[in-house]
Amino acid sequence: MLGGLFFVPMLCLLGILIALYRRDPQRFLDGPAQDAPLRLTRWATGLLTPERAEWGQAMLGEIGHIEGRFRRMRFAAGCVGAALVMPPWGRAVAGVWAMIVLAAGAIALEGAMAVSYRLGGGEWIVTAILAVLVAGVFLGASALVRRPGVALPGLAGGLIIAVTWLILHGFTFGDQLLPNTVPWHRLVQVIVVPFAVGAAGTAWSRDPVAGRRIARLAGITGSLGLYVYTTVAVAVIGGGGPFDQDGGGTLRGTISDRLGNSTVLLAFTILVFPTIGWAGAAVAGRLLRRGLASAGTGPVTPNLESQQEA
Amino acid sequence: MQRNRPPSAQAISVLQALAADPAQWRYGYNLAAEVHLKSGSLYPILVRLADRGLLDTSWEPGQGSRPPRHLYRLSPAGRAFVAELTAASADRTTRSPHNRWSEA
Repeated sequence: MLGGLFFVPMLCLLGILIALYRRDPQRFLDGPAQDAPLRLTRWATGLLTPERAEWGQAMLGEIGHIEGRFRRMRFAAGCVGAALVMPPWGRAVAGVWAMIVLAAGAIALEGAMAVSYRLGGGEWIVTAILAVLVAGVFLGASALVRRPGVALPGLAGGLIIAVTWLILHGFTFGDQLLPNTVPWHRLVQVIVVPFAVGAAGTAWSRDPVAGRRIARLAGITGSLGLYVYTTVAVAVIGGGGPFDQDGGGTLRGTISDRLGNSTVLLAFTILVFPTIGWAGAAVAGRLLRRGLASAGTGPVTPNLESQQEA
Repeated sequence: MQRNRPPSAQAISVLQALAADPAQWRYGYNLAAEVHLKSGSLYPILVRLADRGLLDTSWEPGQGSRPPRHLYRLSPAGRAFVAELTAASADRTTRSPHNRWSEA
């Protein structure tokens, strides 16, 4: 049963790779009209708010006249950087700030505990790796949160994933320190809810591309929220609380083990939640297309802006 | 609320490059190459300058399969701003002749 829970995400990941490969035959062709730098620039310009759309067109117009793969790629990479930081961010700025506070708070808490309990160099290495991981997660989420129609359902989906996890696992800080050994709980937490959130995102937006973005944002924010909660739990309870037989015999060993568990939870859920959610959104998108086709209203045609996958 | 902070050194180099021939329309990529800026630095600067009314922008129609291209040049306000910057810089140099940082 538990082995299956790890096997299903791997299958979903494989399915995503196959779907990405099949989505556009030109994706891996490096022709002048559809090469990687142009796609990257298109993706970047999709991050801009409508009032900055002209600047996105300016970047696309410019790359259309740049020759040479290296120059084009360097220009496109710069456009990504510009689009990520270029204000205004509209209403998405509130969500981004909330994520900054959450992520920075968790990393600071982990660092503070490493100092407080004198956990040694190993914990600092883990904290540094974690900081890089969280920064990457934040960048990915901030790109998603700026897409039109994605921020609210995505953040709400993340809340649903995190709250469902806590309902089944237990809300108290003590519950966070012990593993949940009920198999069907894990099935619901890891597979059913993220899948349902992804499917609901597609159904709500009626756009498969937006649905997949909603699923990814929900998975990322849900994972980050759970990580913050478990890290706070370790900070509050410290070496006390329920006995964990893997916790080591010393206070430092116990704290280090508990922090390690929360890091593993982040690494696991950050991969699994978005992957399963993506699969749910893709299935719902397929059903939506079929439903509309059978109703005679034609296939779902996402708007031009959402055609660039985030 | 629009904040008019003093321009950065990079923004000043863009302004100076545009001021070299104020009447001429310039392409973004050529401008970036001239002032040794990456596109990631250039476009936010151009956006800020345009927001402050220091820049005129226009579009060159696309040719064949090539897309339309955005063009930039200093607006009258931009020219006046560059003139002010140059005068202020010259004034500082005159008042403190030993300070040659601006020439570095």
